[in-house]
Amino acid sequence: MTKYKSRLHKGLIDWFLFGAMAFLVILGALCIMSAVNAVDFSNAVVRTHIIALPLGFLAFFAAWSFNYQIFDEQWKPLYGIILALLIGVLLFGTYQRGSKSWFVFPFFSMQPAEICRVLTILAAAAFLDRQGRNMRDLRTLVWLGVLIAPVFGLIMLQPDFSSIVITFPALLVLLYCAGVNVFYLALVFAFAAVAGFFTVAWTFLYLHPQWLDYKLLDVFFKLSDHILYMGVFVLLTGLAGYVAWWLFKQLRIFLPSFYFVLATLVVAAGFFAGVFADHQMKPYQRKRVEAFLAPQSDPQGASYNVLQAQIAMGSGGIFGKGLFSGTQSRLGFVPEKHTDFILAVVGEELGLWGTLLVLGLYLVILWRIAVVAYLASDRYGYLVCSGIFGMFLTYMLINFGMLIGLFPVAGIPLPFISYGGSNLVSSMLALGVVQSVYARRITSA
Amino acid sequence: MSAKRDSFNGRLRTLLTLAFIAGAVVALRLADIQLLRHDRYLRLAERNRTQVLYQVAPRGRIFTSDGKAVASNAPAFDLYYLSAGPKDDSYLRRLAQDFAPHIGLTSQEVLARLEQSVQSGKATALAENLSPRSVLPIKELQLYYPGLYLIEENKRIYPYDTFASHLIGYLGSMEGDEWKNRDQSLDYRLDAKTGKNGLEKKFEKLLKGRDGGVFLEVDYRGRVHRVIEDRRWRAGDDIYLTLNFDVQRAAEEGLKNSLTGRGAAVALDPRTGAVLALATAPAFDPNMFIPYSDGPQPSSKRISEYNLAIQGVYPPASTFKVITSIAAIEQGDFDPNKEVYCPGYYDAGSRVFKCWGVHQHDNFFDGMADSCDVYFYTLAANTGAAAIEKTQRMFQFGLPTGIDLPGEKAGNLYGPTKRARNRSYWFIGDTLNLSIGQGELLVTPIKMAQFAAAIASKGKIWRPYYLDRIVSNQTGRVLQRGQSQLLGTVDIKPSTWDLIYKALKHTVDDGTARRVKIKGLDVYGKTGTAQNPHGDDHGWFMAFAGRTGEEPSLAVAVFVEYGKGGAGAAGPIARKMIEAYFHIPTEMPKRTAEQQNHVPDADPAVLVSDMRQIQAALRQGVDGEGA
Repeated sequence: MTKYKSRLHKGLIDWFLFGAMAFLVILGALCIMSAVNAVDFSNAVVRTHIIALPLGFLAFFAAWSFNYQIFDEQWKPLYGIILALLIGVLLFGTYQRGSKSWFVFPFFSMQPAEICRVLTILAAAAFLDRQGRNMRDLRTLVWLGVLIAPVFGLIMLQPDFSSIVITFPALLVLLYCAGVNVFYLALVFAFAAVAGFFTVAWTFLYLHPQWLDYKLLDVFFKLSDHILYMGVFVLLTGLAGYVAWWLFKQLRIFLPSFYFVLATLVVAAGFFAGVFADHQMKPYQRKRVEAFLAPQSDPQGASYNVLQAQIAMGSGGIFGKGLFSGTQSRLGFVPEKHTDFILAVVGEELGLWGTLLVLGLYLVILWRIAVVAYLASDRYGYLVCSGIFGMFLTYMLINFGMLIGLFPVAGIPLPFISYGGSNLVSSMLALGVVQSVYARRITSA
Repeated sequence: MSAKRDSFNGRLRTLLTLAFIAGAVVALRLADIQLLRHDRYLRLAERNRTQVLYQVAPRGRIFTSDGKAVASNAPAFDLYYLSAGPKDDSYLRRLAQDFAPHIGLTSQEVLARLEQSVQSGKATALAENLSPRSVLPIKELQLYYPGLYLIEENKRIYPYDTFASHLIGYLGSMEGDEWKNRDQSLDYRLDAKTGKNGLEKKFEKLLKGRDGGVFLEVDYRGRVHRVIEDRRWRAGDDIYLTLNFDVQRAAEEGLKNSLTGRGAAVALDPRTGAVLALATAPAFDPNMFIPYSDGPQPSSKRISEYNLAIQGVYPPASTFKVITSIAAIEQGDFDPNKEVYCPGYYDAGSRVFKCWGVHQHDNFFDGMADSCDVYFYTLAANTGAAAIEKTQRMFQFGLPTGIDLPGEKAGNLYGPTKRARNRSYWFIGDTLNLSIGQGELLVTPIKMAQFAAAIASKGKIWRPYYLDRIVSNQTGRVLQRGQSQLLGTVDIKPSTWDLIYKALKHTVDDGTARRVKIKGLDVYGKTGTAQNPHGDDHGWFMAFAGRTGEEPSLAVAVFVEYGKGGAGAAGPIARKMIEAYFHIPTEMPKRTAEQQNHVPDADPAVLVSDMRQIQAALRQGVDGEGA
């Protein structure tokens, strides 16, 4: 203990983390102003963001001054608040762009899914903190699944896929860092992979009906149509699991039989999740998957966005065209330029240095969160930091990946830089919690 | 504190490492996009934001040697709607109604274009290629209707309509593979007009110039934000021809007013081979391919691209008697004063060859002047066909003149060697046929002009050239210069030339070529009437002239298809050309009226030129006719 004390500063705030965040926020505000200059609702966007900024700092300082352990103690009311917010938005929310995910108040509107993401991490961390030495047990995972399922279900009802796209990997990271058995995590991952495979494959067939001439693919495509087909598929999966177990037995390779049961169950569950997603998917979402699968197939369509964003970044070169002088973004060629594609504005106006700066600051944030996690005075602090680490890692990978063509366009903003009050406030709140963990690294223990 | 790190100590650290690796990958890809592909993306970004209203550059002008621009440029205007300003229906309808009459469209058509422009949000051309006549009313209307933009460009114009049309060529839109095969170094657009024929095609690259344009900054919906740049065009390079405007004009008018209006006339400078006139009839008006959109449209765009002057081949007929004479004189044992009796026919033993008249006693000079066939039959019978063929070769018959134009025909050399090569026989009838320029012998009008120039220059065979120089419109530098090129010389005795000159002068002064006798000039000439089994005979006229006592400075060849005779049809045209060249005012305008009723007095040769007929006749030993 004394060893750590002597090495650590007694500061109450991690200036690296705060500095990186503040820098990104200011850069973001400038880029947003530049991006929307040419469009009609420019003033509204800038005004909203200018109002959201102090709110974000307020959330940050509030979370920092709060003792984070209160989330650990009061995780059940916290969980209740999450469910209440999500049910509330389904009841009283407003439709925007086809999903019911907004509370609209007289002077502002908010997206509860954003704040719920952070709260979910806090609650999940608290739950895992309580599991202690049962961590490697399958039951922990199942119970957490039971806990999270309603949250995801409610978000799916809005529907807001992109929220799950961030929260799910963040929770995986949390579980991994919490020490859950990697085999079980692999199962969860396999579940997601199976679900994703079915969704993507069906989408592909949906968009390319000519492939249905192959009988086998046609049968495959029809699987999601009727409950009977699904039953047949599940039975076949079970049969395959049994055959695999029998084969292994004949080969004198003895594996616990519940491994096979689990694998079968995961495939079946993944299949049903895929069916569900397939039924829920909207045409524009299918288009996005398509654009990712074959970006050159439709340059004026879905991949047009990515192409225009890359043109914007590429035309910026090393030093960029200068702030407020990007033609691609200001003349509207880059869509969603102030939200999901804000990096294109950074790249165009500030050049390679700008994008590398943003990337570097993100890595600084991740590094500092990891450092704070290891400095945390209790296990809960470590878990919270891990979850938040996972969240920002996912944001960074998906947003950058989308821009450079490694991920499909998912409608994921880049926290601190993109326009979006709810996202800004909840992201700053998350970092505030991390700062709170940092500030209290020594006192308790 | 250390207790909590039992099972999961390294996991977050592993993830952090992975995050840094992912960051490195992302950074590399960013560098790839922003460094390596910077140029390409910058180009794409520029293309995204700019919309260009192009302005066609003025094509290089084409001048004659006396400085007349025979291909020039006139202003043309495009009217653009920039989709700014009011867009309501009644405004657009009013706009369409007011503008339609000035841009040669119906108001429905204008309204359709306006609505399309409003819908797409892009600048749209309401009308292109408007004449300056429409500009004033449009400018006035512009005051009341904002959002309209009048842009000036250039349009090819040929001020003298049909002048040298076959040489200059014409312009047209790109068709078929032309767009795919276009010269990528030039800024062609899909609706560009390019040279289709003649000089317009041959010198397209130099004539084209670089188009100008108004560069507009547009947003993703094509709405105009501002004018980035107004780039001035660069005019194409000017071409100066060796053509003499007056001579060419005289040739064209003469051909047009000739008996059939079909033929060709070529004038060369015998001292250099420079082309002074190169006319083909019927000519066409290249202006009709590029009319103003608000002006009258041509009813038919069919023209004959067939350039008879270099592509038409015909027997040279009596003009060839000069070759026969040269062969005979060079052979030796030639007495110009020896008289031949012409009873109107020549008895070749197995058959009889007719003369076109009865000339009684003719010496060499009278024989040439009267174009007496019997005199030359006799001459050829003594000299032999081989010598005539050799002389033909000296004058490069059967070869193209090498003028720098596509599609020139070589014509055909005729003689016993050629016949032997085809493994066939040569008869005395062939020799007689050859002596008066009939049979398989074929020449183009330009070849005939080259031949005339060769005699005028006493043996210099020039490669005709029409390009004097090409001058850059930017720098004034001469980019290219036409070169006089000697293809060969005819090496014969000076005394032979003297005899030929004397004979040809006699032909003009007191013979079949009387029509080109002009005071103050030494004119030499020879008529010819090419026999045509399919219709009226063709008329030839070959002449050269110089001021009295001076070296000849003009060589002329005129051909009138189905003109019936050389002297009557082609002679007056040659005279006009000579007069134009030496600036001699035309005398006796009544001549034209006289000439039209006049039966040509030239020399219709007797024999059908169809060799198969002749051969068949000879083989059977039957007299062709009049025996």
